[in-house]
Amino acid sequence: MWKATIRGLLAHKLRLALTALAVVLGVGFVTGTYVLTDTMNRAFTDLFRDAVAGVDVYVRSHAAFAGPSAETERRPIPERLLETVRGVEGVRVAEGSVAGYAQLVDRRGKAVAPMGPPTLGVSWTTDRTLASLTIRAGRAPERPGEAVLDAVSARAHGFGVGDSVTVLFQGPTERFRVVGIAGFGEADNMGGATLVAFDLRTAQRVLGRPGALDTIEVAADPGVPAATLRDRIAAVLPPGVEAVTGRAVGSEEAKSLQEALSFFRTALLVFAGVALFVGAFIIFNTFGILVTQRARELALLRALGASRSQVTRSVVAESAIVGAVASGAGIGAGVLMALALRGLLAAFGIDLPSVGLQILPRTIVISLVVGIAVTLAASVLPARRAGRVSPIEALRDAEADRPTSLRTRSFVGGIGTVGGAAALGAGLFAGAGIGVVGAGVAAVFLGVAILAPLVARPLARVIGAPFARLRGLTGRLGRENAMRNPRRTAATSSALMVGLALVGTFLILGASLKVSLGKAIERSLRADYVLTAGSHFTGFSPALAERLRGRPEIAAVSEIRIGFWRKPGSTSLRMVTAVDPATVERVLALGVRPGNVAGLRPDEVLVSRRAAERGRIRVGDRLDMEFPASGTAPLTVAGLFDEGGLVGDYAVSLAAYGRLFTSRLDSMVLVRAAPGRAPGEVRGVLAREIGAFPSVRLEDQAGMRRQQEGMIDQLLGLVTALLGLAVVIALLGIVNTLALAVFERRREFGLLRAVGMSRRQVRAMVRHESVIIALIGGVLGLGIGLFFGWALVAALGDAGVTELALPTAQLAVFLALAGLAGVLAAVLPARRAARVDILRAVTVD
Amino acid sequence: MNTTEEKIVARTEDLVKVYGEGSASVRALDGVSLALGAAELTAIMGPSGSGKSTLLHCMAGLDRATSGRVYVGDVDLGSLDEKRLTRLRRDKVGFVFQAYNLVPTLTAAENIALPMDIAGRNPDRAWMDGVIEAVGLRDRLRHRPAELSGGEQQRVAAARALVSRPEITFADEPTGNLDSRSGAELLGFMRRSVGEYGQTIAMVTHDPTAAGYADRVIFLSDGRIVDEMRAPTAERVLDRMKSLGS
Repeated sequence: MWKATIRGLLAHKLRLALTALAVVLGVGFVTGTYVLTDTMNRAFTDLFRDAVAGVDVYVRSHAAFAGPSAETERRPIPERLLETVRGVEGVRVAEGSVAGYAQLVDRRGKAVAPMGPPTLGVSWTTDRTLASLTIRAGRAPERPGEAVLDAVSARAHGFGVGDSVTVLFQGPTERFRVVGIAGFGEADNMGGATLVAFDLRTAQRVLGRPGALDTIEVAADPGVPAATLRDRIAAVLPPGVEAVTGRAVGSEEAKSLQEALSFFRTALLVFAGVALFVGAFIIFNTFGILVTQRARELALLRALGASRSQVTRSVVAESAIVGAVASGAGIGAGVLMALALRGLLAAFGIDLPSVGLQILPRTIVISLVVGIAVTLAASVLPARRAGRVSPIEALRDAEADRPTSLRTRSFVGGIGTVGGAAALGAGLFAGAGIGVVGAGVAAVFLGVAILAPLVARPLARVIGAPFARLRGLTGRLGRENAMRNPRRTAATSSALMVGLALVGTFLILGASLKVSLGKAIERSLRADYVLTAGSHFTGFSPALAERLRGRPEIAAVSEIRIGFWRKPGSTSLRMVTAVDPATVERVLALGVRPGNVAGLRPDEVLVSRRAAERGRIRVGDRLDMEFPASGTAPLTVAGLFDEGGLVGDYAVSLAAYGRLFTSRLDSMVLVRAAPGRAPGEVRGVLAREIGAFPSVRLEDQAGMRRQQEGMIDQLLGLVTALLGLAVVIALLGIVNTLALAVFERRREFGLLRAVGMSRRQVRAMVRHESVIIALIGGVLGLGIGLFFGWALVAALGDAGVTELALPTAQLAVFLALAGLAGVLAAVLPARRAARVDILRAVTVD
Repeated sequence: MNTTEEKIVARTEDLVKVYGEGSASVRALDGVSLALGAAELTAIMGPSGSGKSTLLHCMAGLDRATSGRVYVGDVDLGSLDEKRLTRLRRDKVGFVFQAYNLVPTLTAAENIALPMDIAGRNPDRAWMDGVIEAVGLRDRLRHRPAELSGGEQQRVAAARALVSRPEITFADEPTGNLDSRSGAELLGFMRRSVGEYGQTIAMVTHDPTAAGYADRVIFLSDGRIVDEMRAPTAERVLDRMKSLGS
């Protein structure tokens, strides 16, 4: 039997290679995700370890938790503590440092804004054992007016020693002379962040820490253990200030990064899972077709005395070998993918320290297991069917594809679809969790795939009708061929269906989000202009709002700041928005009722109506909110509001924000023009004023809407690109099925050629069949996508997605793309069909 | 019919076909010169391996000769590229094979109209009706090949070959898979289409009874024409075959 298995594999090399490719791509995605995230993890862990290498103990104020921009959320500590710490026995050297928001302006006057990583200003640490920055060129900053830049920023924006550079702060913008270029250990920057370093006095002034420090870094005398020194220092510190070992700080930072990376990893693995799921359809289909084609050979084995289970086992063994080989190749492909992605990160200015690719044993084991398991699972049914081939079939020559009973099929498929939809509903609406949603989605896909053969024939008839009408004979034959074996057509198009269903879901979700956001802006925004920071988690100096206030062209200026809080004991962060109670109503229709925003006191909070409903919060309740810098504060719910677009679910006054947070950056300034002023005039004033704040963007209402839509589109683009791999795999499936069909029908093609069909006509015929199959997948997929999108939008109703929108044009484009994919998939099989040897096809051998 | 008995529809000149190379080569045709007259049913006979099928394939433009010439009408097939050869097969030549004769997804009627469909021409309704009538398939037209008997399938194939009024029809063992009654029906139809409609048919067969329907029998052995017989009967053909040692 083994010999037959191996021979069987060798005889179908090309077919199996195409199948294997589906597994290779899916497994490659898995491996690549692990290798990339492990490598980044290792690189950053090393980076943080290096950063704290010379520091034995850190002194800093206590923080309840770290928000997304940890640097600015600790309260400063008084500078005089430095002397106290220096007086502790065992301290060899102690130095104070500050860090905060500082954004470079490039030579063209634009603010340098990396995608994600922060823009930091820091004080230069003079002691070499404590310092993590090292001078690459020039010298350290020593006096006011001097700055040192990180090597990546300097290189990317053409700054050298001696140049002059403009830097934005929370306070006024200033100019500095570049006296040096620094690296971060071996790396040229710190994980993509831009860095400007000043001497301590300058840093304290420009970063808003006069007479204060963020941390004190301490190195121990030789022979004094870090932990001992930490305890000694802790003993002399005032309440609210803590001493932590360097090692603990390093692992703390590494841990928060690991959390971020694990989210990233999970997201990528979901897409890898989709790719593998699609791959499973292809494996199932290919093995099914191979079993059918080899029915005579298998029957012969049975006639010669092989048992059913022997035949089944030989097919399973075949798939195991394919799975193993493909998974091995997939691991290789994944490593290459990770390498390419690392290069891509470098191109985006994220310079990782030179760490070798991290290929952990865990990665290899998971990739192999997943790849082999998916292949085996997908081949179980074809293998069982192989076992059921009766010995008598060796003597018949029939393309026997005995269909399973329609009743069983519709029963099983119906259960899968309905059960999946129920699970989806339970997950989305009854809070049964994301795992249930995923299982529901998979069940719906499987259910529809099982039902698909029942509708494949009529669908092919309808979809193929234009082909038959417009393309004459080749169109008619293409349609007939697509209808000929509904199970095969269904299985092939199911693979494409999965990808398109998910694309459709996200398109609908995105369009609904856009319309909902647009409506929210339209409903609530009374401001004529909105000033925003380029990046989401940084802000800009409140000096801008100050300069706009009181100008005659402007009727109202209102600042908005954002911060994070959590319920004590919870780990999930929520957003809180700070508004100016005196002016906010002139620029934003909050719809506060009961209560009013004008009288909002620093110990009060406004809650959105939907959050109040969800959390059963009533006016007058006490809400315990924990903030990073200030710890837990009890706030009284003073009222409920409607608006949920720009302000989110929780709003406090600017005064409260000042009490609870350390940051003073505005994330948004809303401006209302004075009555009777020409729009162009007001816009001109604003444009002039923001000239000094290059990170600020000026938008009118429409622009604001476009900006929000742009963000959604960006995300949609990313998701679609990641789903692209699943679509590519589905394409391979169509190629494979067509190739097998061409092989089966070579006599027929030969006959058609013999009676005068041209090669071009043969190719057209195969192409039409392919396009019809692809369009069936597209129609089924977009149908499911419509359902998923609707369910998702309905579920997200209380998260602000209030409108259901159908992006008809986009959906049509993707359906057309599916058809185009069919054309592409047909290229090679069609060529093979056209090259069929006429003589061998029409003569009896 | 304005053609005369003497008109030549297809001919070969010193046709040679060699398969393989060097010592492993086989000379399937070894200098065959033959002319097929219009409105004649010619049977090509010979023992297995005599080259009769190869001769038919070369004459029909399905295979290319190693040397020598093949003409259909005045056209030298050797001078045609792949595209022109395909068009010639479509427009001037009809085929009936031993098996795999029909496209399984098309009905009998669609199969009959296939060559015209491929060419994008409208069939001549009256002629098509006549052919269908002649093969006795009027009530089977809407059936697919899988629903037809072997004899019916072959008659559909024969109808398809004739419906485009080709200059010549080639049949390769058309009765090979049929029982004797179905075979007789098919041969009767072919005989009538030559006699009544002036069609030209060349048929490879090893069945003396089939050859008995022909106007003329060509005997092939080892790639050469060894004999020829006019107005054959099954008995005479059988005798001759025996002497060829088949």
